[in-house]
Amino acid sequence: MTNAIDIRSATRTFGRTTALDGVSFAVPEGSICGLLGRNGAGKTTIMSIIAGQDRPTSGRVEVLGHGPFENESVLSRISFVRDNQRYPDNYRLGHVLRIAPEFAPNWNADVAAELAEGFRIPTKTDIKKFSRGQLSSVAIILGLASRAAVTLLDEPYLGLDVTARALFHDMLLRDYTAHPRTVLLSTHLIEESEKLFDRVVVVDRGRVRVDSDVDDARDLAFTLSGTTAAVDELARRHTVLRSHTVSGLKSVTVLGAMDDAVRADADGLGARIAPASLQDLVAAFGEESSESIEEGARA
Amino acid sequence: MFADKGPAFQQLAAKIADEIVAGTYPEGTAVPSATDFAVFHQMNPATASKGVNLLVELGALYKKRGIGMFVADGARDLLRSQRREEFRKQYIEPLLREARVLEIDDTELHHMIDEHEEDET
Amino acid sequence: MSAVVSTVRLHLNQRVGTFAVPLYITATVAAFSVLLSLLFWRSGSLPGTAGWIQGSQSNPGIAYGLVGFLVYFGVASVAATFPFALTLGATRRSFVAGTLLWYAITAAYITVVLAVLTAIELATDHWFAGFYIFDVYVLGAGDLLRLVPIVFLGVLTALTVGGVFAASWVRFAARGPQLIAAGAVVVIVAALIIVLPAVGTLVAAFQPWWLAVAAGVVILASSVGSWLLLRPAIVR
Repeated sequence: MTNAIDIRSATRTFGRTTALDGVSFAVPEGSICGLLGRNGAGKTTIMSIIAGQDRPTSGRVEVLGHGPFENESVLSRISFVRDNQRYPDNYRLGHVLRIAPEFAPNWNADVAAELAEGFRIPTKTDIKKFSRGQLSSVAIILGLASRAAVTLLDEPYLGLDVTARALFHDMLLRDYTAHPRTVLLSTHLIEESEKLFDRVVVVDRGRVRVDSDVDDARDLAFTLSGTTAAVDELARRHTVLRSHTVSGLKSVTVLGAMDDAVRADADGLGARIAPASLQDLVAAFGEESSESIEEGARA
Repeated sequence: MFADKGPAFQQLAAKIADEIVAGTYPEGTAVPSATDFAVFHQMNPATASKGVNLLVELGALYKKRGIGMFVADGARDLLRSQRREEFRKQYIEPLLREARVLEIDDTELHHMIDEHEEDET
Repeated sequence: MSAVVSTVRLHLNQRVGTFAVPLYITATVAAFSVLLSLLFWRSGSLPGTAGWIQGSQSNPGIAYGLVGFLVYFGVASVAATFPFALTLGATRRSFVAGTLLWYAITAAYITVVLAVLTAIELATDHWFAGFYIFDVYVLGAGDLLRLVPIVFLGVLTALTVGGVFAASWVRFAARGPQLIAAGAVVVIVAALIIVLPAVGTLVAAFQPWWLAVAAGVVILASSVGSWLLLRPAIVR
């Protein structure tokens, strides 16, 4: 399978701040990939670089086999609306719907119309005055109606109500099955969106911590909970990502797959053991202290 | 066979298997396509295919080229026998473990089951 | 090339801004000019006298009215439209080229509007009442051969200057416009220091085409500046 997106050792610094620190991952063609991580982890910067709106300070990025920066033919096959997208003065929904097809060769007006109606986007209000959810709706219309070979959705859920989120999922999957494309979607609503993904990439502080098939991601970490003594004993041989203690009780998320040995040990010590959900995993990497990253790197 | 909280493709396979056992999808009839399942359950189409294929490999579903996916003859029995094995693991073992913790002996346990069945009827 | 045309369409997407607002402004300025003329009339000046014509033709209202709007328009065409153009998939190259092309279209449009209005004013003997709205010194005093280059270059100058300020803002945030303003002041002061001793001779020798050359230089510098500023610009 060829990769639609291929990022190799991309580093991006802004002055003294390092936004991306040697990011490498690839998204195969036709995949719906989740890009997860805390605020400030580097998700939007990664998308910006993929969309040719930014360039890595070092490293390289290929989209559909070519560098996207200033590459007209690649850019016409990418859709990216950033979470804080600016629109020209006095723009209304109609302006966006009129000009978008000019730049998106596969634009589908029916998809746009169905979404605009379903989201109940006002047509007579300036986009400047839109609520957070209405702005997200406009971004989703641009993202899905473009039918771009590479579709980047940056926090598409911000401010969306439950009906709108279901409409988004429904339209994404219906249109994707009829017109397959590669989708990279960043979000904090992990439990709600994880069923959409076949791959996940987790970033924290500008580094890729997980890059995996969504089914394999279940084997990346597990949680142990029980008495502090038991959990400490069990966790001794593992890299602890996150730990949580309440008066004598402890719960930890540790790296690695749950094997029969550790399961038996946990049984023996009366501790509970369970695979870490995707949400646990992202939360754990997001809470991890700098020291354990170094330990993890050495291990 | 299908853990409740396994990967999403296993969960889908378990759901379809439930429907086959319950007779919602009778043997010899068509089931929705993997794409339809994906849209209906709002899940990744590749994951949905994986789930459907699990049942194909098991022999509960079969593909008719160009037409769709059908429930195989004998699929209900096949899935039922699979689930009988599961039953021991999922229900009997925890039942006995809990009984031991509560110091319920075998006679009392049998008695409780009989009593419950009488209540049901 | 197609993305350049698409960028022009992106700017033209704001039809009201491009085509109607210059007309509103022109109409407003015209209304003020008429009111002003009526004021002079009531205060004793008579239409058709040398003093009346001299006074009316000195009114530069039309230029002031349009320049402010055009500079804002130049700023808006880059400040808010550049991030959106990149989102739609334009390259920086095609955005800068398309924006310049659109500036030229806007300048041509306003030139045609003012030329037609001036021709009507002249043909109707100043609206049958002696009102000088377009037949004024800043627009070439009724000479269409002067009006056309004055308006076209004037509009283009205002738009490109607005554009380069916005480009500097996109690239360097608040520091950008400050740097350009400071740079412009330094250049002007330096020019004055060199020129000042000879200012008398220069004023005596002044030719209107000098202004055209100056406008050309400003337009060129602003356009090249916009390209250099936007080429490495990123959106955050």
